[in-house]
Amino acid sequence: MATDALRSQVATKWQESFHRLNSDAPGISGLMNFSEAWAISTQYLYPWDINNAFVGANGRPFGKDLDAARPAFNLVNHSRRLPALLEIFLDDMRQNFYLIENEINQYMERYEASQETAELELLIAKLMEWYKSWAPPQELGSTVFSSYTLNFQTRLFSALPPSFAHGFKTLCARLLSPPADDLEETWDPNIYAELWKDFEVLGLIDRYESIIASVGYEFIEDHVLSRCTGEWGKPMLEELRVWMSEKVVPWMLHVYARGASNAEEARSMLQGVGSRFDFHINKTLCDLRTREIFDIIIDFPDSMGALQDLRDCLQRVDQRSNLVKSLRKSNQKRLLHPGADTKLILQQYVATIKCLRIVDPPGVLLFKVADPIRRYLSIVANLVGDDDGGDSLVDENEPIQPLQQPELEDYTDPSWEPEPVDAGPEFRTNKPSDIISTLVSIYDSKDLFVKELQVLLAQRLLLITKENSDRVERERKNVEILKIRFGEAALQVCEVMLKDMTDSKRIDGHVQSQKDSVVHPTIISRHFWPSLEASDLAMPGQFKTLQDEYAHEFSVFKPDKKLKWLPHLGTVQLELELEDRTVEVDVPPLEAAFIELFADQTVWILDDLISSVGSVDRSSAIKALSTWVDHGVLKEDPENTFRLLERAEEPSESTVRERDLAALPASEMDAPPLSVTQQQQADQMRVYWKFIEGMLTNLEKLPLDRIQSMLRFAPGYNQSIEQLSGFMEAAKREGLVVVRDGIWRLNK
Amino acid sequence: MEQLTSSLAPPRSSPKSSAPSSTQQVAGSVAKRLSNELMTLMMSSSPGISAFPKHDGNLFEWVGTIEGPSETIYAGLTFKISISFPSNYPYVAPTIKFDTPCYHPNVDITGGAICLDILQDKWSAVYSVQTILLSLQSLLGEPNNASPLNPDAATLWDKPSDFKTQLMKYYRPVSDST
Repeated sequence: MATDALRSQVATKWQESFHRLNSDAPGISGLMNFSEAWAISTQYLYPWDINNAFVGANGRPFGKDLDAARPAFNLVNHSRRLPALLEIFLDDMRQNFYLIENEINQYMERYEASQETAELELLIAKLMEWYKSWAPPQELGSTVFSSYTLNFQTRLFSALPPSFAHGFKTLCARLLSPPADDLEETWDPNIYAELWKDFEVLGLIDRYESIIASVGYEFIEDHVLSRCTGEWGKPMLEELRVWMSEKVVPWMLHVYARGASNAEEARSMLQGVGSRFDFHINKTLCDLRTREIFDIIIDFPDSMGALQDLRDCLQRVDQRSNLVKSLRKSNQKRLLHPGADTKLILQQYVATIKCLRIVDPPGVLLFKVADPIRRYLSIVANLVGDDDGGDSLVDENEPIQPLQQPELEDYTDPSWEPEPVDAGPEFRTNKPSDIISTLVSIYDSKDLFVKELQVLLAQRLLLITKENSDRVERERKNVEILKIRFGEAALQVCEVMLKDMTDSKRIDGHVQSQKDSVVHPTIISRHFWPSLEASDLAMPGQFKTLQDEYAHEFSVFKPDKKLKWLPHLGTVQLELELEDRTVEVDVPPLEAAFIELFADQTVWILDDLISSVGSVDRSSAIKALSTWVDHGVLKEDPENTFRLLERAEEPSESTVRERDLAALPASEMDAPPLSVTQQQQADQMRVYWKFIEGMLTNLEKLPLDRIQSMLRFAPGYNQSIEQLSGFMEAAKREGLVVVRDGIWRLNK
Repeated sequence: MEQLTSSLAPPRSSPKSSAPSSTQQVAGSVAKRLSNELMTLMMSSSPGISAFPKHDGNLFEWVGTIEGPSETIYAGLTFKISISFPSNYPYVAPTIKFDTPCYHPNVDITGGAICLDILQDKWSAVYSVQTILLSLQSLLGEPNNASPLNPDAATLWDKPSDFKTQLMKYYRPVSDST
């Protein structure tokens, strides 16, 4: 139902198109010309098989004469038929792309068989050839060219098999890393610039950007690991950065700063990726150091460089929790096991403190790592400093500060900084503290620490004999240092103990001047010393006389004081004159007491010996006697009867002695003058008794199981209900509590 | 009422908890403070005063025992008190009342409520169970007759023999009351 209007419109359009194609030429000659130009143009653009080209007379492929084609293009363009030409061209390309696909498949097959990246290089070169051959001439304008490129790339990507991605990565890695036989220094990443340009032309760089980046990452990882593993002496980070700017950045320029017209532009294009790569260096180094941290600490202070790296890396990379985890794990595995000597643990702990303070000055990491060690260690023994050094806790280069008390943060301090985010709620120190403060924090309270210190000091002082009396001075120095941290008051007791030592020496000097004696007592003020193990040992014979004589002189010198002997402590230097030999020994007093008895009577039975020296427990007596059996002075024959050997005998089979020694509980073998553990246990039981007393006072009467559960209020209570039952029975025997029908109450 | 609510809902702890190591479950600084106070009180051995949590697992409800100071009218008598700590202890004073009827100018004879300045407006976080118990013990011998809760007792204070009679009328020995 075409109307006249429509008819005339169509007619006008037709005329217009005709005129455009005919270009005002007479008749249809313009149309003929256009038809010829169209044919030449399509012929010229036709995507041909470069491997099987018909070669024309001019040595070029048939129909590929640009000079001939140029007027045709002009005509087509003039007739505004370029879009149609492009469409035809792209369609031809689609139909002929199988040629390239075949080619790709052939190359990829060869690559997959040989895994040689050289095949890929050839493939790229070949693809470039195809690309260039099919490319429309510049004369057709940039729109046509970019459509062509986009189309070519899209088809290429879909034609590339999955294995290409992997191969391409290998190829890139090869392009990035210097050839093995070449020296790293002379390697120039620019030698592959052409190839990178090809990648860019084919769109491979955009397409495989993540793969190329991963090549970069792996390259960095390899370098960091090979360069820095075990290299802790100096900081590596700077060196790595230099390396990166020399070796990686040029490579990155090809990949990421292509098309940059000047250095400034290149820099801004590289900024993002550069910071990613720099981050990767940090992270790789950080991970490496995290894995190595335990050994780094062992090597401290030779591993200073690694620690500085770690500190710098941690600021860039948030890997703190990994570090904590790793260190805790290796501590658990390598340090906190029964095979490790306490002293080693302590040394490592101190080194850990020092190291982590470098890595993390606020001390949060330390707090997190140290916790398991704290729990593991009982540390004071080493704190006061052993003779043979080890790592000194008292760092002379470090200003001594008073022990830090928990205090409110001073927010007015201009250098105040918030705690790091990973500081837990129980994070204790808000300021970096010195090593002793950190060590003391192992003990829950300062008091406990000081108490432990006293016990220890007592033990050490009592071991001092006339020969090594200079050790008093050393102890004094320690106490002085500790005093600065704990305050005068806390260590006053220790002070008194030290004073007792010097006083003893002075008093002894005076007494000796009045009357020579071989006795040199240490006179201690009972109230200020930890309670010493009581003993009922009474020294017999000449020892008794010596003691009494000394006591007499002492009472003349100090009429208001009286000596109470602790004869079981100390040592006795003896010279035994026997018929055929003289034996010179240093022995504990009990040994001396026994041998003294043999001066009057050569055969004793064990029970008589024990009763003659007051009362000592049997195992100590056996141990003392076996010392003499060891020296070949006594002989046990028969059992529990001891005979003095005035004449030496060939040592008979030592079975007797061994049996006796084996029968001794291990703790008796080298019992210290006062038993810390026993005393602590007694202290503990005293605490528990206070709680039991407290609950029975207030709750009147309780069954055993409720006492047990209520005792959980007592810190550190860990006794079983059977142990508690035994304890309550003992309290009942003491008349402290009564029980009826299983209900306990206080005995009022 | 306040006492009731605070005893019904002690913070961060479950009064019914009977699981092992329930003291550790009572997390938080209040429990820690109370635990420390208990330790201090147990180790201090002040004569005539004592206190202990009522139930295991709940540090917020305690029973206390106060012996009348010697040479006062209360000598030889023993009083039970209950102490209930609020969740924001020590910033707020614990609620304390006599469980043993106590005839005293500053103690409500029926409810057991106590009028003592440090338990009300003069409370400070530096006080502890021990200082409270010591204050209560000395309050027995030295009542504040200016602000009596028990006006009869305040009037009778100056007549020791009459006072003693009233005191013994109300007093019930501890072992009978439990």
